[in-house]
Amino acid sequence: MKDNDTHGNADDSPVEMDGGTVTQAAQDHRNTDYLNREVNLLKPSTPFMRDHLRVVWTGFIIWAVIVFGPVTLTAIAPDAMTTRIPALGFPLHYFLVALGAPTGALLLSVWYARKRDALDEKYDIDPSRVDTGVEDDADGTGDATATDGGGQG
Amino acid sequence: MTVPLQAEALDISFKLIPAIMVFLMMASFLAIGYVFKVADTEGMWVAGRGIGNIENGMAIGANWMSAASYLGLAGLVALAGFYGLAFIVGWTTGYFVLLIFLAAQMRRFGKYTAPDFVGDRFNSPLARALAAFTTLLIAYVYSVGQARGMGLVGQYVFGLDIIPMIVVMMTITVGYLALSGMLGATKNMAVQYVILIVAFLAGVYAVGFTEGYSTILPQVEYGALFDELGRQFSAPFENGSYYIWVATAFSLIFGTCGLPHVLVRFYTVENERTARWSCVWGLFFILLLYWAAPAMAAFGVDLFEVVTGSSAYAAEGGMSGAEGDVIVVLAAQFANLPTWFVGLVAAGAMAAAIATTAGLFITASSAVAHDIYSELINPDATQRQQVLIGRATIVVIGALVTVTAFNPPALIGELVAYAFSLAGTVLFPMFFLGLWWENTNQKGALAGMTVGLLLWIGSIINSVLPNYVGFLGEAAGESGALVPLYAQYVPPIGAALVGTPLVFLVTIAVSLATPEPPLETKKMVRQCHSPEPMGQQQTAEDIVSNSGGDTPADD
Repeated sequence: MKDNDTHGNADDSPVEMDGGTVTQAAQDHRNTDYLNREVNLLKPSTPFMRDHLRVVWTGFIIWAVIVFGPVTLTAIAPDAMTTRIPALGFPLHYFLVALGAPTGALLLSVWYARKRDALDEKYDIDPSRVDTGVEDDADGTGDATATDGGGQG
Repeated sequence: MTVPLQAEALDISFKLIPAIMVFLMMASFLAIGYVFKVADTEGMWVAGRGIGNIENGMAIGANWMSAASYLGLAGLVALAGFYGLAFIVGWTTGYFVLLIFLAAQMRRFGKYTAPDFVGDRFNSPLARALAAFTTLLIAYVYSVGQARGMGLVGQYVFGLDIIPMIVVMMTITVGYLALSGMLGATKNMAVQYVILIVAFLAGVYAVGFTEGYSTILPQVEYGALFDELGRQFSAPFENGSYYIWVATAFSLIFGTCGLPHVLVRFYTVENERTARWSCVWGLFFILLLYWAAPAMAAFGVDLFEVVTGSSAYAAEGGMSGAEGDVIVVLAAQFANLPTWFVGLVAAGAMAAAIATTAGLFITASSAVAHDIYSELINPDATQRQQVLIGRATIVVIGALVTVTAFNPPALIGELVAYAFSLAGTVLFPMFFLGLWWENTNQKGALAGMTVGLLLWIGSIINSVLPNYVGFLGEAAGESGALVPLYAQYVPPIGAALVGTPLVFLVTIAVSLATPEPPLETKKMVRQCHSPEPMGQQQTAEDIVSNSGGDTPADD
């Protein structure tokens, strides 16, 4: 059984995990001091950043293919790319660029946002629970509940 | 290569009902903004917390859609064929790059205007002023496209000649600006979005339905028209080489990620998760227009032939640039839809243009008054002096925009694209490197921005100014550019394809050669990437200055 109570705040509800254990990823997250780890796009320094960048780069490569692939293919093989799509009537290159690329970017965006949410879950992060380890008096209200976003994400 | 001004085929006369619709639309923006007016900053935060994914997504859409989307896009697709699609791709797919690299990190940084970000990240008033100057240039170039759109569509509604029309419309814009400022009406962008998208889609559906082109899905049904449209509509690389296509799309994509008025929309959201999801929703709401724009272009081109009897692409009697720019309205007119309906479509276009221009002018005035004047020129500036300078900026830039729009160098969409290539060249690398590489330092940023600005200004002097300035025109001669090779590889519309990588290299090289930024700054960058949730009002700077050595997970 790992120690659940690494947070100092009394008002922090105990983390509810299935079976009461904390995953390795969540443990890593708690043991990471993010303000003392370098930020470098090419050299991720924390497990979270590594996982995140894997998603980011995968998405970026697929995106580049969707966006610049069809037009490049059209430059290389104009005849094949300008054939008509049966039923729809569009030339293939026109369809892939005018409808394919924007729609592809939208689907990729949904995919990324879901993946990123899954990462929060994996690392046991609740975006609605503000826990910065600082006293909540930055805005002078002294009222902790006013800044925590109301608990609903 | 200036564009012909008058849209011959447009029915130019004063029309009462459409004129009333324009004023009602503008009045409703003001009224709604006034009703939802926030009493004080605290109220703003409470309201801010309530802004969810979908509403913020609509706000992103409203912010995004100017005359360039509403009018210019269909015009480009109609006139430039396959090359026009580079604009569709460029103005949509960039949101994915924004989402994965910048949206949430910017939300955490907590500073949204370009001068604020650059000034705080690189600890330099000079860098801040450079970013402000860039912002000012962007606002100016962007507004020229809007003024041209307002002038052209205004002709349909108010029936004046183009030059007095532009003057009248710019006066209305400044009036709108003053009124919205006076009423404290922060624009309710979700409502604005709904009005604009309804006006646009109603036009597409009505034209498609009444002319028998389409039924329920014009966005796909226009495919059946390709046989009749003529090869210029879809033949690849007729109006632009592969290079210029890619350069244009590249500039628009990375310009999207460098435009401050896009990033500011992540300011009001509750947390990074909302920032991400509202970016996704924003892209969806933008696509509702971008899926339909080529359909409107196809209908317009086909109707042009039916009504005028000559092909849109014919050398004689073909579609002019001005007609292309109003094709959205023109198609509705050609389809013999009732005047009030065509007026609705036109009013949507004018509302989009006026609201965008008003926003750009505010940005420009704060860049000059706040970031340049009081930061650099007169640090002891009083509030009064700043307000005066801000107002003077609006008057000067308004006059400049008006005069430039009399004789514009390009189509609406292309003009706006110049602003994007500037943002992609100068601001995007600062945002990207500033957030993703903590060792980017002040000298690197200054060098990078200077190189980017010079490269872009160079491309404008090289291929746009010869149209206006006599001796430059003579020096340029036939080719229209002072240095044809530079114009070929660094055209103003696609300058970022060369510019962005160059600015990256310069910034990185100078940063490596000079001392690293202070630890405080690095921690600020780290805080932008930490997955730890942070409070609504907190900026990365607050967290860093509060934390000292005591960090959340030190056990």
